[in-house]
Amino acid sequence: MVSVEEEEIKTFRDLQNEVIVAGLCGKCGGCVSFCSADQLHALEMGEDELPRYVDEEKCLTCGICYMICPVTQDLDAEVQSRFGWEPPIGAHEAIASARARDDQVRRVATDGGVVTALLMYLMDKHLIDAAIVSRRSTAFSRQPMIATTREDLITAAGSHFAGSSHLEELGDRYTTYSPTMSAVRSLQSQYLRHVAMVGTPCQIRTVRKMQTLGILPAHLISYTIGLFCMENFSFDALAREKLEGKLHIDFEDIDKLNIKDDVIISLADGTTIHVPFEDVDDVARPACLACTDFSNEYADLSAGGLGSPDGYTTILMRTEKGSQLYSEALRQGYIEQAGFVGPAELASEKTKMMAKVFAFARRKRERGEARLSDALSL
Amino acid sequence: MSQVAEEVLVIGGGAAGIQAALDLADMGLKVHVVEKKPSIGGRMAQLDKTFPTNDCALCILAPKMAECSRHPNITLHTYSEVQDVTGSLGNFSVRVLKRPRYVDEGACTGCGDCFRKCPAKVPDEFDMSLRMREAIHMYFLQAVPAVATIDPERCLYLTKGRCGICAKICQAGAVNYDQQSQEIALDVGAIVVAVGFDPFDPAVLKHYGYGRYRNVITSLEYERLISASGPTGGHLVRLSDRGPVKRLGFLQCVGSRSLQHHRFCSSVCCMYASKEAILANEHDPEVRSTIYYTDLRAAGKGFQEYTARAERDYKVTYVRSRVAEIVQDDNENPVICFEDLVSAKPGRDTVDLAVLAISLAPRRGADELATVLGVELDEDNFIKTEPFSPVDTTRPGVFACGYCRGPADIPESVAQASGAAARAAEAIFSAAA
Repeated sequence: MVSVEEEEIKTFRDLQNEVIVAGLCGKCGGCVSFCSADQLHALEMGEDELPRYVDEEKCLTCGICYMICPVTQDLDAEVQSRFGWEPPIGAHEAIASARARDDQVRRVATDGGVVTALLMYLMDKHLIDAAIVSRRSTAFSRQPMIATTREDLITAAGSHFAGSSHLEELGDRYTTYSPTMSAVRSLQSQYLRHVAMVGTPCQIRTVRKMQTLGILPAHLISYTIGLFCMENFSFDALAREKLEGKLHIDFEDIDKLNIKDDVIISLADGTTIHVPFEDVDDVARPACLACTDFSNEYADLSAGGLGSPDGYTTILMRTEKGSQLYSEALRQGYIEQAGFVGPAELASEKTKMMAKVFAFARRKRERGEARLSDALSL
Repeated sequence: MSQVAEEVLVIGGGAAGIQAALDLADMGLKVHVVEKKPSIGGRMAQLDKTFPTNDCALCILAPKMAECSRHPNITLHTYSEVQDVTGSLGNFSVRVLKRPRYVDEGACTGCGDCFRKCPAKVPDEFDMSLRMREAIHMYFLQAVPAVATIDPERCLYLTKGRCGICAKICQAGAVNYDQQSQEIALDVGAIVVAVGFDPFDPAVLKHYGYGRYRNVITSLEYERLISASGPTGGHLVRLSDRGPVKRLGFLQCVGSRSLQHHRFCSSVCCMYASKEAILANEHDPEVRSTIYYTDLRAAGKGFQEYTARAERDYKVTYVRSRVAEIVQDDNENPVICFEDLVSAKPGRDTVDLAVLAISLAPRRGADELATVLGVELDEDNFIKTEPFSPVDTTRPGVFACGYCRGPADIPESVAQASGAAARAAEAIFSAAA
């Protein structure tokens, strides 16, 4: 019998002090997902969507929540080398502008619906059993969901700017169906064996940290599709009031929200308002302002509207798996590329797209680093 | 002459090693079984049923495994390897290295609390990587000894100094991250080698698409798939979509009887493929299997009748043929392209699963073991023996049985094991006299 040297292990207590209290928690749900999936049940997501102890007695001080948190610097070097990260925006093999071929998908999508189309391709070909996505519950809030059918995917299509604690859902789902070891086995073999996850940079980063450790439930995730992310908002009453005053609009009139070069608010009457990022910083989640990853640097594929014509999605292929997924979905007619007149135009469009991604990535990194150093100097 | 050691070393704890150990122990000799894996049982433990009786493999094997662990004359050294052998018949000195399990074998009760909470997931070797296990694990459900083992490469405590969950929840206090490998010195009069085989890796045969096509699997993967204790609980499914299997194709001589790979006939594949096809039909009477064979080899007790029954009662079709390649259609169905050698016509059959009846070959590392033991190998890397002394190796006092001395099925391996045990005992008793 050997004593595990507990004092050396950083636990959820340290996560509370260093991340949550410091206002840096992005609410990805990773810590809770692990704790639930492993049936430790020490943590839960609170009503404020921040993780908290549900029963500290149950905490085995394993320190895994601390290690996998996207804000802690634990495992950084390993994750970077495993996923071939290089400055300034991580590994990338190619960039493209495309849209879904399916009209129904395009109608409900924020941009070109490529993410939904890719998930449909993966499902049709039995490459995944389910996709972790988020679904609009009201105009400004989203719920994580595990989509197992095309219909589920349609329900979930459209942007995620209200964020959701995605990973927690997988942890929960994993537990609900696995009270015993034999159920875990059947879950793995018959239920959720291969899963794709669509997520923000913090969520994907958590998955990658978990995969670097080889731990559950991230071992089920075989594809990661990352969304470009400047920030997510939390639209509580106070934030709404601030925004309504600043923009002279009624929140009830907002039909759709999108982020490309700036924040685009479409109103029910058909008018569109463009708002600079600085004007919405008030309602952005504080943790997002300290985040340095715009382009979702660890995903298999990153996607977003930035850089593409209206109605198209910009796709950054990062890993071999991501490139293969894109080219197969293209070949099999799930998506189509933006039609450029000739190769010269295509090349120049690609250069422009890359330049935009680089510019936004730099902007977010600078903003994040400034906030982080402010937070540290306080 | 120094006193003869009335102890025997058996290397390998599979079907043959277990039988040799039990026979020797029953003759009153002390037996040390050295097994490389965390549990005894060997390849037979991975099989679902055995031909030609379709008995459940583990149902036959498990009582013998238990007997081995309980026998007062047998000491099991699992997770251990023979490092060095010196001396000669009657007086061998053997050095055995026991790897750390990081679990105290005496304290662990096999309750399973640890692996239910272990967060680190690893492909399960026993289940041919068809499912994930945990870093702390039991080698298989009926493992002997029934104790857990930690995979040091994947354990978060051993690699990162974090976690420690298993140690914290083990009520027996059996987890010991500081456990070191241990050297064991044995003095034995004779040695019985029964290290078995390793399956051929068919990924090198690119034209069969193994590794590229999800519905092309090996016969050993098939055994785990159809086993009730396997990753699907015994449901035979297509690996691509877990859909039902109605059409099965078995490709014979994959890696065997080949000038590029193994020249020998593995001797068991015609029969195990017949058995696997029969089992599929027993699971679901709608299943139709085709066996693409080179020569149908059913030379054993009850074997010819077994293949006749497969054809007659279980709708198995035998086609004497040569498979050129396997391609895949849009639904990931393997399409088997072959030449029927009777009609001399090409054919294409679309199946749900294509099963490669892979060659069984001498263990990788057979050369190193032969060097340690000081025995010669034959041109195929099997342990060299002579026709009239079929279990004697080239070194007096060292005997061999089972697949490591040449292709053999289970009954034959067990018969050889009894033969090797008798020869080893005889050698010790005559040396002592």
